[in-house]
Amino acid sequence: MTLELELRGITRRFPGVVANDRIDLDVRKGEIHALMGENGAGKSTLMSILYGLLHPDEGEIWVRGERQHFSSPNDAIAAGLGMVFQSFKLFPSLTVAENVVYGREPTRGRRLARASAERQVTELAQRYGLAVDATARVEDLPVGVLQRVEIVKALYREASVLILDEPTAVLTPQESEALFEVLRALARDGRTIIFITHKLKEVMAMSDRVTVLRDGRAVARFVTAQTSPAEITRAMTGRDVTPRVTPPAQPPGEPVLRCRGLRIEGEHGRPVVDDATFEVRAGEIVGIAGVAGNGQAELIEAITGLRSVAAGTVEIAGRDVAGGSVADRRASGLSYIPEDRHAVGTAGAADTAANLALGHHRRPPLLRRGLLQPQAVKEHASTLIDRFQIKVSGPETRVGTLSGGNLQKVVVAREMSHGAPLLIAEQPTRGVDVGAIEFIHAEVTACRDRGGAVLLVSAELSEILSLSGRILIMFEGRIVAELGAAEADEATLGLLMAGASPEMVSRHGR
Amino acid sequence: MAAEPPAAPGRGGAPGRGARWRGAVGWATGSVPVSIVLALLIGAVAIVIAGKDPLAAYRAMVEGALTGPGLANTIQRAIPIVGLAMGLAIAIRAGVFNLGAEGQMVLGGLAGTVVALEMPGPGLVVLVAACLAAVLAGALWAALSAVLQTGLGVPILITSLLLNYPARYLSSYLVRFPLRDESSSMVATAPVPEDARIAPLIPGTSGLGRSLAESLGRDDVLVLVTRGVNWSILVVLAIVGLAAFVNRRTPGGLESGLAGLNPRFARYGGVDTSRLAVSTMMISGGISGLVGVMLVLGSQYRLIEGALVGTNYAWTGLLVALLAANRPLRVLVVGTFFAALVVGGEAMQRSQDVSAQISQVIQAAVIVLIAIRVRLPLPKRSRQVREPAGTADPAAVSEAETQVGRV
Repeated sequence: MTLELELRGITRRFPGVVANDRIDLDVRKGEIHALMGENGAGKSTLMSILYGLLHPDEGEIWVRGERQHFSSPNDAIAAGLGMVFQSFKLFPSLTVAENVVYGREPTRGRRLARASAERQVTELAQRYGLAVDATARVEDLPVGVLQRVEIVKALYREASVLILDEPTAVLTPQESEALFEVLRALARDGRTIIFITHKLKEVMAMSDRVTVLRDGRAVARFVTAQTSPAEITRAMTGRDVTPRVTPPAQPPGEPVLRCRGLRIEGEHGRPVVDDATFEVRAGEIVGIAGVAGNGQAELIEAITGLRSVAAGTVEIAGRDVAGGSVADRRASGLSYIPEDRHAVGTAGAADTAANLALGHHRRPPLLRRGLLQPQAVKEHASTLIDRFQIKVSGPETRVGTLSGGNLQKVVVAREMSHGAPLLIAEQPTRGVDVGAIEFIHAEVTACRDRGGAVLLVSAELSEILSLSGRILIMFEGRIVAELGAAEADEATLGLLMAGASPEMVSRHGR
Repeated sequence: MAAEPPAAPGRGGAPGRGARWRGAVGWATGSVPVSIVLALLIGAVAIVIAGKDPLAAYRAMVEGALTGPGLANTIQRAIPIVGLAMGLAIAIRAGVFNLGAEGQMVLGGLAGTVVALEMPGPGLVVLVAACLAAVLAGALWAALSAVLQTGLGVPILITSLLLNYPARYLSSYLVRFPLRDESSSMVATAPVPEDARIAPLIPGTSGLGRSLAESLGRDDVLVLVTRGVNWSILVVLAIVGLAAFVNRRTPGGLESGLAGLNPRFARYGGVDTSRLAVSTMMISGGISGLVGVMLVLGSQYRLIEGALVGTNYAWTGLLVALLAANRPLRVLVVGTFFAALVVGGEAMQRSQDVSAQISQVIQAAVIVLIAIRVRLPLPKRSRQVREPAGTADPAAVSEAETQVGRV
């Protein structure tokens, strides 16, 4: 039987690393094939090669028994491949239908046959249960819908193989579930799906077969029904990952972060956070749970000084810094792992040494007699690269070339190494592989055990539940409930995050 | 420039001598020198079309720019270009797009001239006071743009450009009317006192100058250069050296480099980017102002209507800063090269009757070629994969911005 897609001995080298090392990949027609691996394992490189964005140094690509040489994505599209990227490639000011048909417009005479385009797009979307309004303008649509538009776009181009790069990274659980339904329907229809993911749960629930990459090699192939999450994890990391987090050895100490009556205003003076009062003590991790968009991001920005405070106080280690600058807060003892490591947490075009130096660069040993010590800057970077096992060729490598997990490790390394009394960790493991998650969790708990106060914001409830000693729930800009670790579980948190009152939840629960 | 590391604020570690040497070789084989060679070929075609001999023309150009009185001319011309380019490079490296060097230079020249004309006292004191006044004038004018951005959100790029015009016309008005020296046929101020001028390195009238000329001959290069180049060269060299040092060795240099690459990252790290914009603009404008006064006190000796603007130095300086990727030592090299092109072009016109515009064609071709190079599909070389290219290129900046969904 001919395979739908066959990669043979794909090799691609970058300076200092072999991103893909003689990778073979077989994909059968009509299957859902998961491609797994830690960050930097080579998944994205492999898919970029398959889609014609990168050229392999060695190796062959076969599609339906024919050898292919893709010099650009156009060739890949012509061979029936479609790719849905993590960041969508759509024109915001055009409608869904216009985006979908772009480049292959149905025409009437020399004009775009708009009605026909809209009809075709709607039909295509309905056939696979993709709820999309063909006439809506893309800029008005939420992320989950944009992804559906991308899928429709690929289908419109008659893609028989659909590649999705971490499709659920930007989706809510409900949206993910809907996406899975669509993918299953596509597979039943004879289309082939390749999806890249970190999430074991999705792989187990969705895929027919799994290929695991590690350090640029294909290290394992499984039939999903005959394997277990533990086996896949072992293949990915080369070891067993135990998601156990040690509980704190000591009760919490003095409050390090104290917010009182915090009010933050958005556009038109509407409060996005209202009357937030809470504290985080030395030696404890406090988790903030909430559906995205309920004020968590703004709250963190206000605490860290990136957004102005309309009313209330923010005390760090006993100093009110609500009116102060980021520098004031950092001087008082703030370290901060931001949600967006690309846009905020690093400067991609700068080298690793500089990225690791910011914040350390006005203190010895990096600064002596008012001057930066280049040797010390380099050593600082090398030490952190070793200690945090960052996969990078050296301190002079630009961080923009690093994979997501390694970039996150750069951020974590820089912030953790302050040894600051307060750590704010915002989505610290988003889009990061299992091995890195474990590492980051260990670092966060180590920070707590050193007596650090940790404020954790995460969309992953399991992360909040396993790390936090106390959990605050935010809903519509307010802290609506506080739970101890013992009384919290996913069901209770879910109800509170959805806006149920604590009384209702407790009546319901007991 | 495509394969170059970025404008390197972050060159934290000291590269070994070997690495630095390899870097130099890499740059020499990179797109800037290659573009220069190609541009010279294009210029040769233009000369042939004009019916002249390109080899003879280029020989005249090189000789005219690099030998005898031409060398002195090139160096003297490079001083303001490098100075202005350095001021702009400092700003652009920090992400502050100062397009107002012209106005800042003009106001610096104006303020310095007024001080030099009106202030009593010994020459050296007047000279220093005039320079300080020029720095202050340029810095304040530039700060206005910065404050408009940090306070009202109007981009520096726009205000600094627009503020060139009031500066130019204010100076124009003052030179035409209140400050006009009626005894001269030029539209200009009165000449500044001789003892407040910036002297040549070794004046021909001094004892040392005379004995040098006697022992080496009047046409010796050393005599011509020390006579034709004034002390402002040391000021500009000091600025270049200081900038290189600040970039590499000071916390502020690291911060401004990172702010240029990602302002949100800098802010997150505790850098007050508003304050940085103001201080950077003041430094940048101050340097432009200083260049303005040095042109008046060192070359023209009076503020002549339109003379500072007419040189177009501010815009040449901007190109130099961009081509040099804001690196101080490269600014020095590229700026001197551009000065040599201009001086050589004039020599070519004199001796070979080839229009000096040819040298402008070459200049333009260098710039266009470098810009194109950035956008060419990169060959499959391992050292080339580190796109997007150097952030200092205008083309590359937008490239880098639009790179989405990268592997």
